[in-house]
Amino acid sequence: MKKILEVDRVTKYYGGAVVTKALDGISLSVEEGEFVAIMGASGSGKSTLLNVISTIDRVSSGEIRIEGKSVSGRSEDELSAFRRDKLGFVFQEYNLLDTLTVGENILLPLNLRRVPVKEAEERLKKVSEALGVSGELDKFPLELSGGQRQRAACARALITSPALILADEPTGALDSKNSKVLMSTFELMNASLGATILVVTHDAAVGSHAGRALFLKDGKLWNEVIRGKRTRREMYADILSVTAALGGEIDVR
Amino acid sequence: MFVKLALRNVKRQVGNYLVYFITVSLTVAMMFAVNSAIFSPALTDRISGIADLKNALFFLTAFVALIVSAVLGYATSFILRLRKREFGTYLTLGMTRRNVLMLFFAETMFFCVLALGTGLAVGALVYQGLMAVIANLMETAYSFSAYSAKGLILTVCLVAAVFLLSSLASAAYLRKVSVRELLHGDKKVERQVKHPVLWLFVTVVSLAAVVGSCIFFSAEVERSVRGTGSGGNLLLAVVVLAAAVVFFHIGAAKSVVRFLLGCKKLKNRGTNAFALRQLSGRLSANAVLSGALAFLIAFAVIGANVSFVQKISNDAIFAQSYPFDVGGRTEAGEEAPVPFDEAERIIEDYAEIESAVYTAVYTSGERYLHGFTPWSGEEYEGLTDCFLTESDFNALYVPLGYEPLHTDGGFYIYSGSAVISSADFSAAFLELPGGSYFYRGTLSGYPYPQFSCYFCAVVPDEAAEGLEEDTFCAAYTLAEELSGEEARALEDALSYEYTPPSGEEYTYFRCDYDIRELARMAMNANSAEFIVSALYLAVVFVFLAMAILALKTLSEIPEDRRRYGILCRLGVSLREQSRTLFGQIFAFFFLPFALPVCLSIPAGLICRQILRLSDLAVSGVAATTGGIALVLTAVYALYFTAAWLVAKKNIVRE
Repeated sequence: MKKILEVDRVTKYYGGAVVTKALDGISLSVEEGEFVAIMGASGSGKSTLLNVISTIDRVSSGEIRIEGKSVSGRSEDELSAFRRDKLGFVFQEYNLLDTLTVGENILLPLNLRRVPVKEAEERLKKVSEALGVSGELDKFPLELSGGQRQRAACARALITSPALILADEPTGALDSKNSKVLMSTFELMNASLGATILVVTHDAAVGSHAGRALFLKDGKLWNEVIRGKRTRREMYADILSVTAALGGEIDVR
Repeated sequence: MFVKLALRNVKRQVGNYLVYFITVSLTVAMMFAVNSAIFSPALTDRISGIADLKNALFFLTAFVALIVSAVLGYATSFILRLRKREFGTYLTLGMTRRNVLMLFFAETMFFCVLALGTGLAVGALVYQGLMAVIANLMETAYSFSAYSAKGLILTVCLVAAVFLLSSLASAAYLRKVSVRELLHGDKKVERQVKHPVLWLFVTVVSLAAVVGSCIFFSAEVERSVRGTGSGGNLLLAVVVLAAAVVFFHIGAAKSVVRFLLGCKKLKNRGTNAFALRQLSGRLSANAVLSGALAFLIAFAVIGANVSFVQKISNDAIFAQSYPFDVGGRTEAGEEAPVPFDEAERIIEDYAEIESAVYTAVYTSGERYLHGFTPWSGEEYEGLTDCFLTESDFNALYVPLGYEPLHTDGGFYIYSGSAVISSADFSAAFLELPGGSYFYRGTLSGYPYPQFSCYFCAVVPDEAAEGLEEDTFCAAYTLAEELSGEEARALEDALSYEYTPPSGEEYTYFRCDYDIRELARMAMNANSAEFIVSALYLAVVFVFLAMAILALKTLSEIPEDRRRYGILCRLGVSLREQSRTLFGQIFAFFFLPFALPVCLSIPAGLICRQILRLSDLAVSGVAATTGGIALVLTAVYALYFTAAWLVAKKNIVRE
């Protein structure tokens, strides 16, 4: 399988007077079509890892490659173009632009790529129907429920068929019912639409939907659980046992 | 505790209040400068016609205070809305509405007092500048002008009134708003504009009305100069123009961007959809404000143009109407209260008479020539045709450097009135006791001093034989110029007590001599009144408009920062973010400015037309109009650039 993401001995320091080591020599890789969850307690470094992978932050040392190309040493404009062309994002707070309609939000990444209108609309139709938001395209984000908004955010992340979709605590603002619907959406995106997904979460139930869960502790990769051919419930049980060994600082729903 | 909290809030809110503070400070500075001018002892001592200027400025400053109250009221309530979550939290924590109101009142008052102090300090300098401008306009020497306590007291009273009036809207809002609205009222979906097609129609009709009212005004000016126009129609054109400017901006703000959003090719390119949506929400929410600001800027542009052109026109009228230092008239057949020989003795007390020219205006007692003018109806029965001989005409103007006039057996129409210049005398044929004479033309380019008639015919000398003498005129050129005080004293000395003949029971002092220096002073005072008033309004209005736009732009920074942050994450480069933000702010800033500044063109053309129709020199109008537009645009661009740079620094980040 083709490696989409390679994280090679990445270290990240923060701070001025007091220096904090947020990531400590992490190495991992994600293959095409994989659904990977990064888990860990608060302060374990999972959001920092997501930020450096998404090129929003820079590494202190080490290297990150996406589709075999290093993201280090690129200019700000090159990184913007890279994010636009290679990555899709789903955030905890949806990050939908409240001034745009849902349809305009989903189309925005295609507009940025100057995709012809006809093609863009065809892709909008396809992705919005797949994620169940086709009836909400003319509404503004504030007119939708949290679950609908997050599905719209997923559609926006998916519409460009990015190499990698990054999700940062995507269920953080949702109730348990909408969380389940969203994770089913992620599974659909992964299984049916072939999206490669890297999700950061501290929710064991969310992690159980992934094919592989990586655990961070104090900025280091601490453990890994692979679902394989097991059921989601078995995966969930495994995550809970790793969590217990970690100190029980992960949400259980 | 509230004082401490208020002071801490003041410190924390400096950014939000900065534009408010600058607006109030500069407005106070302008008010103080004008109020000091109203009570300036220097002006009172030097200028006799200052009472009119003072009255005009006093009403103007009260009017400006009212406008400022309305604008600051808007700004204050706007700042309050920016902080409503904070005030909601205070109420949740148990503060009473009265406490919150007092807290907000105390914070605003703190900034107002600070702005009053700063404004008075800046105003003290602006006052000296204003006095220099007035001195320059009145062609008197500038010297340091003393300050008056009355000016200071009036300013403080006006600022206090402005502060109280502008706080009323905020107080009313805080008294009524629910805690829920304060805490959660921010998250509102953009209200869709209802009937965008109707608003587009309003925009198009308003634009047509702007063009139409300018054309109608121009045509009405032409008719007025020919004596067939109506002041009511001119006023109607101005009212239509004002309404059209306001509705054009309301309509444009509510429709144009909505229609651009409907253009898929435009919308679905890069960040266009985002920029258009940002603009659409902002413009439609501020449509009325945009119309009001456009009105203020249009007022400023047209007012400044008219005032400067009025100065040009006044100078031209002065040059045309007062070619001699002193001019006198006595009516034939009556004993002159101050005959020419007595007047000459009086004048010699002030200045040596270098030359004197005596002329006579004759009348036929008929109204034949008036029949070719609009002044031919029954209501003009008292007017009779007047005549000036060729030799008298040449005696007046050849020494002033004009070419001698040769009537060659015909006659010329001679007038200072545009109505006469545009009248057609081509069919006129004079039959006078001295002979018969064809019309040879209407004179232009000659001065027309204060004769007793609106126009006269310049005829060969023999033509006047047998005509009745109507008025005797004397024109004196003095060896040295009179000072203002000497001119006033000379006028007093030449005046006499006059009782109107038609049975009125009052008397007044009348002078049959025109003194050029006094006329110059009166015209300069008139110009100064116009220019200072117009510039005062223009500066305050433009400044208020810019302040409101900047306040609006800067207050959106937190929301915009969040939105542009999302764009950044979606892969929009810094350059594209900057470009999008620039377009968004530029369109918001310049929508209320573009049309008003374009009104400079019709304003300049109409001013030029008025001067041309009045047979006055039109040079300088284009430069004045262009200069005003350029200065306004430069000031506006400066303010826009500052707002844009501050916004960019805070919004577009890596």
